[in-house]
Order: sequence, then structure tokens, then C-alpha cells
Amino acid sequence: MKNLNAGYGFLKVLWDVSIQIDRGEFVALVGPNGAGKSTTLKTISGLLPPQSGKITFDGQVINNQDCALNCRNGLSYISEELNLFTGMTVLENLEMGAQLLDDKNKMEENLQFVFELFPRLEERVGQYAGTLSGGERKMLAIARGLMSNPILVLVDEPSLGLAPQVTEEVFNALKVLNKKGVTILLVEQNVTKTLKFSSRAYILEKGEVVLEGPSSELITNDHVKQIYLGT
Amino acid sequence: MNDSSSAKVIEWLKSAGGITVTCTILVAIAVSFHKGPYVLVNTLVTGGMWALMAIGVSLLFGVMNISNFAHGEYFMIGSLTAYYIMNPLKQYLLETPNDFLSFITPILGIAGAAIVGAIAGIVTDKTIFAQLRKRNREGWLLNCFLITIGIQIILINVHMLVFGNTFKGVVNYWDVPSVAFGDVYVSVDRVVVFGIAMAAIVLFWYLMMYTSLGKKIRAVAQDENGARMVGIQVNGVYSTTFALACGFAALAGGSLLFMFPSYPTVGVAPLYNSWFIIILVGFGNVAGAVPGGFMIALFQVVTRTYMGEGWENVIPMFLIAMILIFKPYGIFATKVRSVWEQ
Repeated sequence: MKNLNAGYGFLKVLWDVSIQIDRGEFVALVGPNGAGKSTTLKTISGLLPPQSGKITFDGQVINNQDCALNCRNGLSYISEELNLFTGMTVLENLEMGAQLLDDKNKMEENLQFVFELFPRLEERVGQYAGTLSGGERKMLAIARGLMSNPILVLVDEPSLGLAPQVTEEVFNALKVLNKKGVTILLVEQNVTKTLKFSSRAYILEKGEVVLEGPSSELITNDHVKQIYLGT
Repeated sequence: MNDSSSAKVIEWLKSAGGITVTCTILVAIAVSFHKGPYVLVNTLVTGGMWALMAIGVSLLFGVMNISNFAHGEYFMIGSLTAYYIMNPLKQYLLETPNDFLSFITPILGIAGAAIVGAIAGIVTDKTIFAQLRKRNREGWLLNCFLITIGIQIILINVHMLVFGNTFKGVVNYWDVPSVAFGDVYVSVDRVVVFGIAMAAIVLFWYLMMYTSLGKKIRAVAQDENGARMVGIQVNGVYSTTFALACGFAALAGGSLLFMFPSYPTVGVAPLYNSWFIIILVGFGNVAGAVPGGFMIALFQVVTRTYMGEGWENVIPMFLIAMILIFKPYGIFATKVRSVWEQ
């Protein structure tokens, strides 16, 4: 992604943001409220058309490409609002996540995989998504995003509004996923935890990348310490 | 039936929906004893078709947030198509009788009506609503309201201009004796029309619940961005929804040609009826449209029988006003009501 400018209508949120993610990486994008983290993800996913700049995915320029088509190409976006189908059961939600797969066996395989990742979902397969608790919803949204065999997963604030141990569970699941070879771009406000789990990070402030580097280095950086870690 | 399910049934009977349905059935039985079973036959025939119309309006509202005030015009398109398929064939049959052709003529007419209606729906979506979706969604509800009113006016006037201001009807579909249920004689047309309505409703229910297309439509209705995120081409789903909804309206128009001859404003009464139904059962409630259709049909048939022609819209309107005062979200309101309110 290069020199990306994006925003809503007249409001410009991102100013020449450039991010580069290699295959198999676990990259984090952190920053304060209103820095443009979610906007970045929304723009990459295709829900929000960029104002200018270039987004390349797998060697292809995907500016202005519909979200549905990106999903077909292996890009999966898990939004902050989750966007679950609340009137459908957990299983139906997962099936919808896998609806691009032609192979029925592959779907079963993925289903087994996400149930392994989140055993809680297996207990609730027949329940309506609207009746799940906050943590379970988040798990379902992530699980649904994984059903389509994505190459790159964009996760927006998975820890938002979750109890600490549930957050831990979600982060661990992402780690497992990354070990399996899936590239992850994680957006978070919980800086300490994110930097511990990710391999590389970008710090976004007021719509610009102010710092970037391996997470282990960033965690000892003075700027980061001062602003985010409070030490 | 075990204890928990019977408890559920009793609980449902106590709810507003249960009370209304029970009252409707009781009224239907009482009236058919008092005035003869023809009342019931009329209710079933028109009720099924109003249900189809209301399913369409409800679907468009639930999936796309479009309040379609032009839905009656797709009914008109259906009746017009059926007339122009059936009438020439019937003329031809007068000169050269042919048993098979006379059997198949109404089927061709009704099927043609549904197909033309569905195509008209797709054209409407592609030419008007797809363009509107590309711009931003600000003021979507009001824009759609105005656009559909415009479509209604245009289609009514095009009909007047091209096909004239006359009644174009077919007296009966099949020249065969009526069927007897006990000592009640019902014309074959009515039986078939009722059958078509039921078959369409069952097929539609199956489509929505068990096929991947139905699941996609439900997914788009529940969360459009979520649907895009899992890779559903929402524009295609929207066009399909339009095709289904308008196809159903045209199917109703074609099926009821023997009761409602085609003329420019033939769709207005069915449009009002389907809006009555939607308000009665709650916005976006597709399943509720079916009992709602029969209820409204019964209201109208009963008021027409007891109070005379012309009152059939007044009494249902009054009853709906009452229901809305006490149950503003409709009688079948549940927690998961519609996309709109979530």
C-alpha cells in the first residue's frame, strides 16, 4: 500500500500512509483514537474507496475494487462492528463465510479448524448470532472471516469491549493462525499486548505513520513508552 | 405434543398475533355459516394473492429499505401481459378448437406474466436503484419513496397512452364445470389460483430457508457490509430480490385477471392492500405477510358482504388504525424485527 489518502466525503483521514506487509507476517497497526487505523483497514478491504494512492495486493492493484471481489482473492476483513448476520445461526454465519468455496469438504475442514480455535462456538452452533455474548460474537466474526481460506486477514480491534482473558484467547487464536502461514494485519489500541504478539508494527498518529519497526524494538522506544505505555 | 411445545402454543395464542389469528379464523367460520361458504372461497382466493403482493413489498423493504409504492404497477404489468397472451390465443381457439391449447393457454398467460414482471423488476433495479446506490445513501428512504411514486405515475400513464383506457379482461380461464366441495360449487379458476398462490408461497419459503440464494438474500438483508465482507455480490442479490418481488406481484396480476380486468389503475387497490398487510404484520416481516394477506382479504370480503361495496377499505383501515395504536410494530412483532431497526 503506497501513499494512501482516504477519508469520508470532505473529511480526509489518512495522509500519505504507506504500509508494506510481506507474506506470513503478523503486522500490527497501533495508535490513539481517531488516528485513522480503522479507516486504513476499511480502505484496504474495499468498503471505502480511497481518494488517491495505490493499494496492491498480490501484485495486483485493488483500488476501487469491491469488497466482495477482494474476498474472492483471499483478503478477509473482520470489522470493528463485526457485521454478523444476527438473524442467522452460528452455523449459517460460518457457512456464509465459506460460500465462496466450491469444495464442500474444504468447508468441513475449515469448520473443524475454527471450532478447534474457538471451542465455544461449537457449543453454540444452533444459536442465533444475535443472542451471543460480546466475546462470542467477536469469535464468530473472526471465525467467519477465516472460513474463506484467506491469505491476508485484516482484524479491527478484537479486544474492544472484551474481558482480559477473552482478549487473550482471541490473540492466541490469531497467533496460531499466523503460525499456519496466514498473514495478519491487526489494528489495536491495546499497545502493550499487541506489540508482544506481533512481529512488526506501524504507529499511526493523526493519519500519518510516525514510527515503524519490529515490535520488540518499538516496545523499548522512548516515544512509544511515553505515550502508550505510560512509563 | 409434549409439555413445552404445548406451553409455547398457549403462550403464542395469548400474544397479539395469536389473538388476531384466532379471531380471524372464528370470524371466517361464523360468516361462512351465516352467509354461505362463498365468502370463504373469495377470501382464500384473493387472500393468497394479496399475500404474494405483500411478500414482495415486505422483501423489498426488508432487504433494500425501499418502500415500493409502485408495486401495484407490477401487478398491472402482470395482468396486462396475461391479457395479451390469453386473449389472442382464446380468439384463435374460437375458430380452431384445440383441447390441449385451451388447457395450456391460462398457464402460459400466468407464467408469462410472472416472467415479464420479474424482468421488469430487474430492469427497474438496474436502471434506477443501482444508479442511486452508486451515489451516497443519504436520504435513501425518502428518495426511494419519491422515485417509486414517480415510477407508479409513469407506468400508469404509459399504460393509458399505449394500451388505452379500457378494461381488458378474460371472463374465465377454463371452460369446464365448477368443482363441488360438498354442496358448494367453486369455479376451477378460483381453485387453481388458490393453488398457485400456495405453491408460490411454499416455493418462496423453501428458497429463502434452504437454498444458497435465499441465504444470501437474508445475509444482505441482515448486514449489507457483512455480506460484502464474505464475498457476496450485493448488486446481484438486489436485482434478484427485485425480480422475485416484482415477479410475485405480476404473478398475482396474471392469476387474478378473471376478477380484476387490466386497466391503467388496476394496481392501486392491490398496492393499498399490500401496504395494509405490511402495516398490520410489521415492516419487513416476510413470513407474517401470509396470514396478514388472508386477514385483510377476510376483512374486505366481510365488510363488502355486510355493509356493501365501497366500504371494503374503510373498515380494514379503521381496524388497522386500532391495531397500530395498541401494537405500533404490528401484530407479529418480534425481537428481530427488520434490518431497519437493528
